[in-house]
Amino acid sequence: MSTEPPAGGAPAPAVQLSAITKRFPGVVANSDVNISVRVGTVHALVGENGAGKSTLMKILYGMQQPDEGTIAIDGAPVIFASPADAIRAGVGMVHQHFMLADNLTVLENVVLGSEPRKGVGLDFATARARITEISSAYGLGVDPDRLVADLGVGERQRVEILKVLYRGARTLILDEPTAVLVPQEVEELFGNLRDLKAEGLTILFISHKLDEVLSVADDITVMRRGTTVASVLPQDVTARKLAELMVGSALPVPELRESTVTDEAVLSVDGLTVVNADGRTVLDDVSFTIHAGEVLGIAGVEGNGQAELVEALMGIRPCSAGTITLSGRDITRATTRQRRESGMGYIPEDRHRQGLLLEATLWENRVLGHQTSKPNVRGPLLDRRGAKADTERIVAEYDVRTPGIEVHAAALSGGNQQKLIVGREMSGSPVLLIASHPTRGVDVGAQAAIWEHIRRARAERLAVLLISADLDELIGMSDTLSVILRGRLVADHDPAAVTPEQLGSAMTGAGRED
Amino acid sequence: MALGLTLAACGSKNDSTTGGTSGTPSAGKPASNLKIGLAYDIGGRGDQSFNDSAARGLDKAKSEFGFDIKELEAAAGETDAQKEDRLRQLAEGGYNTVIAVGFAYATALEKTAKDYPDVKFAIIDSADPKVDNVANLTFAEQEGSFLVGVAAALKSKTGNVGFIGGVNVPLIQKFEVGFAAGVKAVKADATVQVKYLTQPPDFTGFNDPAKGETAAKGMYDAGADIVYAAAGGSGNGVFKTAKANGKFGIGVDSDQYNLPALADVKDVIITSMIKEVDVAVYDFISSVKDAKFAKGEKVYDLKAGGIDYSTSGGKIDDIKTKVDEYKAKIVSGEIKVPSTK
Amino acid sequence: MRNLTLRSVLLGLAAPVGALVFAALLCAGILAVTGHSPVDTVDAMSASAQRPRTLVNSLNTAVSYYLSAVAVAIGFRMKLFNIGVDGQYRMAALLAAALAGAAFMEGVPPVLRVTMTVLASMLVGAAWAGIAALLKVTRGVSEVISTIMLNAIATYLVSYLNNPARLAEVNPGSNDVKTPDITAGGQVPGFEVTGSSSKVYGLVFLAVLVGFLYWFVLSRTRFGFELKATGLSESAAVASGVSVKKMVVISMLLSGAVAGLVGIPELLGASHSYSLNFPAGVGFIGIAVALLGRNHPIGMAVAALLWGFLFNTANSLDTAGVPREIVDIMQGVIVLSVVVAYELVRRYRVRAEQHAVGHALGRTKTAEEVSA
Repeated sequence: MSTEPPAGGAPAPAVQLSAITKRFPGVVANSDVNISVRVGTVHALVGENGAGKSTLMKILYGMQQPDEGTIAIDGAPVIFASPADAIRAGVGMVHQHFMLADNLTVLENVVLGSEPRKGVGLDFATARARITEISSAYGLGVDPDRLVADLGVGERQRVEILKVLYRGARTLILDEPTAVLVPQEVEELFGNLRDLKAEGLTILFISHKLDEVLSVADDITVMRRGTTVASVLPQDVTARKLAELMVGSALPVPELRESTVTDEAVLSVDGLTVVNADGRTVLDDVSFTIHAGEVLGIAGVEGNGQAELVEALMGIRPCSAGTITLSGRDITRATTRQRRESGMGYIPEDRHRQGLLLEATLWENRVLGHQTSKPNVRGPLLDRRGAKADTERIVAEYDVRTPGIEVHAAALSGGNQQKLIVGREMSGSPVLLIASHPTRGVDVGAQAAIWEHIRRARAERLAVLLISADLDELIGMSDTLSVILRGRLVADHDPAAVTPEQLGSAMTGAGRED
Repeated sequence: MALGLTLAACGSKNDSTTGGTSGTPSAGKPASNLKIGLAYDIGGRGDQSFNDSAARGLDKAKSEFGFDIKELEAAAGETDAQKEDRLRQLAEGGYNTVIAVGFAYATALEKTAKDYPDVKFAIIDSADPKVDNVANLTFAEQEGSFLVGVAAALKSKTGNVGFIGGVNVPLIQKFEVGFAAGVKAVKADATVQVKYLTQPPDFTGFNDPAKGETAAKGMYDAGADIVYAAAGGSGNGVFKTAKANGKFGIGVDSDQYNLPALADVKDVIITSMIKEVDVAVYDFISSVKDAKFAKGEKVYDLKAGGIDYSTSGGKIDDIKTKVDEYKAKIVSGEIKVPSTK
Repeated sequence: MRNLTLRSVLLGLAAPVGALVFAALLCAGILAVTGHSPVDTVDAMSASAQRPRTLVNSLNTAVSYYLSAVAVAIGFRMKLFNIGVDGQYRMAALLAAALAGAAFMEGVPPVLRVTMTVLASMLVGAAWAGIAALLKVTRGVSEVISTIMLNAIATYLVSYLNNPARLAEVNPGSNDVKTPDITAGGQVPGFEVTGSSSKVYGLVFLAVLVGFLYWFVLSRTRFGFELKATGLSESAAVASGVSVKKMVVISMLLSGAVAGLVGIPELLGASHSYSLNFPAGVGFIGIAVALLGRNHPIGMAVAALLWGFLFNTANSLDTAGVPREIVDIMQGVIVLSVVVAYELVRRYRVRAEQHAVGHALGRTKTAEEVSA
C-alpha cells in the first residue's frame, strides 16, 4: 500500500529486465530481451507461439536462470534461484493451468505451502481473516470455506490470484489467463485486473489475443523470435498493426487468385449418412461435389458433423448410407489405405492424435500414411534411404525448421510439425486433399506458407475440402462455401459475396428459412 | 560317532579335501567320514509336506551320527540340467552320500550317478534310474490309503466321503485309487468325491490351505462327512473346514494328530495315512554308515513298514480290529490294492 | 547429429549399467544385513562363472529365455501384453513332443522330422495366442485377461493330454508321466563342450535366427513400421490406413508362433520328451527379460544371458551357504532399477534433444533475421 502512482519524479520500474539471454531447450532462445514495467500498470507481453514469452516469464519467476542479463525489482538488482526467491521479492505467478487441490477448501489451498503457524498448530483463523480482507480489498469475491471442486473456472482463477496475493506479491505474472475463460469471465477478470492496478499492484499479462490486450493493457511489449522488437501504447496501434509487429512482416491474407475450377468432378458425395455408436445420426444425407482445381470450404460451429464427415471420407468411420465417388470410382466401401493409395491426402484436425507419431523421427513420420507408396517402400520392405531423402526435400521445400530428420517429431514446434504434415500430404501428387483446420495453432508465418502451398496445388488441379473455424480463412481460400449444421449441409454461399458476419449467423442456424 | 557329535551345525563350511570319495566303507567297517548331501524338490525344507518329511529323516540322522550335511533346493522352471548340476555339485563337493528327494530327479540322477560310481545315491519315490550306486526308495501309498479308506467307510454316517489331492500327478493318484478301493471294499455303494487342488506344473496345491478349505467346503456341502486330505500343507485348510462344519478329516504322510502345527484342529483328524519318508531317509543313511548299502528298489509298504495308518486320538478305536483285518489281508497278499485307475 | 548418436549410445548403456551397479550394491547390502558375506557370494558366482557346465547351462537357459522375450516383445512393440507366452509354449511343447515322438514319425527323414516338429510348435503357439487375438478384435476382450485365462486353460489341457490314456506313457515304478521319447532321428544333437557334462543346445541357432528376423521385420519392413506406428499411436496408425484389428491378429499370431518355440531347444536337445518335469514359467521370465532388454534384439540377448547365468549360479550359491533366494531378489531389484533408470535416461534424452533442436535453431536465427 506504499507504492504511489507513477506521477512526478518517475519511480523505479516495478520490473526491469535488461539484455536477458537464454539458450534454452526449445525452438527459440531468448536473446537480448529488454522490458521495463511501470509500477501500477497492466503491461502486456505479446508474441506468436514460440516467440519466447513463456520462457521469459519463467526467468522472471525464478523457474529458470538467464545465461546473460539482469533483473531488477523496484530498482534493486536481484537473482532468482527459485520461485521462492521471486515470491520473497514480491513477484507471483498465476499459471495457465491451475494448481489447486480439488478436495480442499479455498482456505486450505491458499495456505498450502505457507501454512500460518501458531505454536505447533495451524492458525486458520488469522489466515481466513487475511483471505477475506484481500478478497474484499481487490473485489475478488472469494469465499474461503468453499470446496475448490465446487468452483467454476473463473473462480478458480481468482483463487490462484488470491493465493499469489496472500504470499505478498506486488507484481503478478498472468500466463495466458484468458485461454480457459468464456467471454463473460474474461470481462470479470479484466475488472479484477483494473482493481488490482488501482491498488498499486503491477501486472504482467501474457497473451496472443490482440483484442484483449488492446482493451486491458497500459503498455505493450512485442516479442518476436526470442527478442523484444517493439514497445507500444495501445492507443497508438491497431490489432492488425500489432499482429504485423508480431510476425515481422505484412500479415498474410487468405485469398485465392483467379479461379482454377474445372468441370472434372474429383470427389462426389451423395446422400452420405453416418450414425454413431449410440445410434445418433451425426451426418444426415450430405451431398456435394468437388472438382479438380476447386476448394470447397465447409463452415460450421464445431461439433456439427465436420469431424464425422472427414472421417467418413477417409474411411476411418463407417457410413450407414450414401456413396462416395473419387475420380469416377466408387470408394464407399474402400479402406483408408485404398483411399490414400488412390490419391487422397489428409491433414487431420488434431495432428498429435491422427497426424504424427510424436516419438518417432521426422523421416518415419514422412512414411506414415504413405507406407505403401514410393519412395518410402520397395515391396514389403521399407526404403529408408528413399524416405530420408524425401524427408529432406520436404524439410527444405516446406521450410520445416529442424536441425535434422532424425529428431523426434515431438521436438518440433506446432507450426513446423504442421508444415511437415502438409508437405507429406502434398507428396505423391494427390488428387484430393482433405484439410481439417490446416492452420490451427500455427504461427502466422507457417499459416501463410500453408495457404501458399494449397493455392499452388489447386492451380495444379488439386481438389480440396477445407474445414476451418477461421472464417477469414474459409472465405478467402474457398471457391465454394457450404454451411454444415447438425449434420446437414444447409446453405451454400458465394465466398466472393459473403461476409464473416453473414456466415457466422448461418452457422448458428439463425435466419434459416426451413 | 563321538567325534561326529562334536561337528558343527548344518551349512558349516568344510574345506576338508577328502576330495573323491575314497571314504566308501569297506568290509563292514562303520564309516564316520560320511558327508551327506540332500537335494530337495521345489519348496525345500519348510514346505510342511514331502520335503519336510525327508528333512526330518536327515535331522534324525544328523543328531544321532553328526555327519556333515549339505542341503540344496530346486527352483521352479528348471530343466534336468539344473537338477543334474545340483547333484554334481554335491558329488564334486565331496558329499559321498547323496539323496535326491522326488521323482523329478530321476533323469538327472541317471546321468550323474554313472560319473560318480563311488558316491552312494538314493532317490525317493522313483524306481528309476536303475544304476549300481543308486537306491530307489519307493512307497506303496495305495496300501495305506486303502486302510484309511476302510476307516472312512466304516466311520461315515452318510456313505459319502471325499478325497482331496494336492496336485493331479500319478503319485497322488495312487493315494486316490487306494483310498477309493478301501472305501468300496467296505461299502460298495458309497460315494467318493474326488478333487485335485491344482494341475501340474502348478504345484501350489501342496501348500495352499485356502484352496484346501474351499475344496473341502464343497465336499462337505455335497454330503461328505469325512475327507482324506492327500495335499501336504493344504490339508490344514481341509481340517479347519471340517472343524467349522462338525465333520472329519484324514491326514497324510505323518501322524498329523500329533503335529504341533495342527494342535487346534486335531480333534477332527480320525486317522492319518503314514508315509514315512523320514524313515526311508534315515534308514538309507544308516545303511551307508554301516556299509550295508543296497542298490535298487526298496519298497516301503504295509509289510515292510514305512506305510501305515495311525490311531492317535482314539477316534477309530472301535473299528481298529476291522481295519487291522484288512491290513493283514494286504500283508498276506490276499488283497491286492490297485495303484492305477 | 553424430554427436547426438554417440551420446545416445552412451545413454543407452548408462541405464542398464547404472541399474546393475545399483542392484549389485543393494544386494550386497541385503546379504550383509542378513548375515551373509557379499564377498563369499561374489566368490561363489565367479567360481561358477569359471565352470564350463554352468556356462553351458546358462547359455541353454538363455536360449529359452530369449525366445520367450522375443515373443513378449513382439506384442510389447504395439502395446499388446501377451502374458500368455507361458501357456502357449507349454501347449506347443507338449503337442510337438507328442508329434515328434509318435511312432509314425520313425520313417520320416531327420531334417524333415525336426522341421515338422518346429513348425508344429509354432502353429500350436500361434493358434493358442490367436484365441486371445480373436477375442480382442471381435469382442474387445483385453488380451491381458484372456491370455492369463488361457494360461490356466492350457495348464488343465496339458495335464489332461499328458496322461497315459491320451498322449503320454508311464514307466512302471516311475511317478513321472511323459510323452514317448523322441528317438535319435527326431532329436537335434547338441555341441559338446570340454569340461561340461551338458551340451549346448543344437537349436541355439534357432534363437539367433529368430532374433535376426525380429530385428529385420521390425526395423526394415513395412509391417514392422506399421507395428511400431500402432504401438506409438493407434489413432495415427488408423488415419494412416493401418487396420489395427489386422495388426492385433497378426502380431498376436507371430508372438504365439515364437512363443511356441520356447520349449523346443530343450525338447529336441535335452529332455526328448514332455514330462511333469518340463520347465514351466519361462513365459513369465520372458516378460522381465524383454523389459530389461528394452525389446531390442541385442538388449534382450544380453538380458537373457544375464538371467540365465543368475539362475544357474543359484546352486553354487546354495552350496556356498548363501540362500538361493538372493538370485530372485537380485533379479527383482535389477528389473525395478532398470525400469527406473530407463525412465530417467529417457527424460534426460528428451531434454537433450530439445536442447539440441533449440541450439541448432537458435544459431540459425541471427540478429538480422530477427529484425528482418
